[in-house]
Amino acid sequence: MIVASGTLDFLSVNVWHILMAIGNLLILVLILKKFLFKPVQNILKQREEEISGAYSKAEEALKEAESERELYREKLDGAKAEADELIESASKRAKAESAEIIANAREEAAVRRKHAEEDIELSRRKAAEELKGTVSEMVIELASEVVGREIDEKAHKELIDEAISSLGE
Amino acid sequence: MNIEVTGAKILLELPFGITITETQVNMWLVMIGIAVFCAWLTHDLKVRPTSKRQIVAEYIVKTAENFVTGNMGAKWKWFVPYIAALFSLAMFSSLISLLGMYPPTSDLNTTAGWAIMTFVMITFYKIKTNGLGGYAKGLTEPIFVMTPMNILGEFATPLSMAFRMFGNVASGTVVSALVYAALATLNNAVFGWLPGILGEAAEKLPILQLGIPAVLSLYFDVFSGVLQAFIFCMLTMLYIASAAEKE
Repeated sequence: MIVASGTLDFLSVNVWHILMAIGNLLILVLILKKFLFKPVQNILKQREEEISGAYSKAEEALKEAESERELYREKLDGAKAEADELIESASKRAKAESAEIIANAREEAAVRRKHAEEDIELSRRKAAEELKGTVSEMVIELASEVVGREIDEKAHKELIDEAISSLGE
Repeated sequence: MNIEVTGAKILLELPFGITITETQVNMWLVMIGIAVFCAWLTHDLKVRPTSKRQIVAEYIVKTAENFVTGNMGAKWKWFVPYIAALFSLAMFSSLISLLGMYPPTSDLNTTAGWAIMTFVMITFYKIKTNGLGGYAKGLTEPIFVMTPMNILGEFATPLSMAFRMFGNVASGTVVSALVYAALATLNNAVFGWLPGILGEAAEKLPILQLGIPAVLSLYFDVFSGVLQAFIFCMLTMLYIASAAEKE
């Protein structure tokens, strides 16, 4: 290896230099591939994947939202129906209850009235009985005083009672 | 005044007659620069870009892909790195002259190497598409007598490509050197008559050399360098794509 001086001719042909020019070009092809095209293309590919991924994700999310909306609508409809039913049943029950209460009240009132009537009847009877007793005694007393002799209380009581009760009817 | 226009300086002599010249060294520098630039552009890429660096990197890749697939079709996507390498190497090898360095593209060996690559691929795809017989038969058309012409035509393609780029870049250097020398002479002539020390000082000051070479450099180094790289890539793509098409 000698450090040389001098120059080539302006127009010279040298096979080694031609080969070196070709080699340099091919080496630069590899350099560009490694340092420029590969990394940039990788990034572009990744970006494409990411974008298509984002698109499919968005589509998925849209679909999911749609189905969820449908679900909620169904649920809402169901809830509405349920609420209607609930109200209806409640009102029905209320009606039934009120009817029952009224019926009960009526019944009770009727029972009470009956009782009252019976009480009244009983009282009337008692009074009548008492009155009968009193009247018959009075009559016997009166009659004995009028007749001046003792009426056999036992013998005539039945007769008098009969007369009074026929009166009191 | 002597104007000397030479090729690349020989820097090293290796065994088997291999020499390393400015052409190779400068091309390696360009390659290192491109590699460092790309590595810087694409380190720490994110799926959601946060840096301008990444946007520039993606823009370059997409532009290169559109450039190749737009001219050749979508099935040639694998060819993108080759065209990108060819374009960047050709362009920066020409633009390096802006730094006052020897542009590797003004060495015929460089452009010839790339043109040979194109030629090999053209021929490969012609044979692949039409078969060896079809390729040979294609050379004899439209009549048998045309065969030598056709064979010449096959070689004319890489030859013209190599010389086009070499000629443009190298001629830029030559014209720049000539104009610079002419301006220096003119400078001496205009300011040389000034008396005494004033004249000597004016002669040494490159007053006239200030403006015009810059404009020329803008054309030959920047515009021509980029344009020739573009043309070389376009021709490579179009020739190869049409070679791969069934006739």
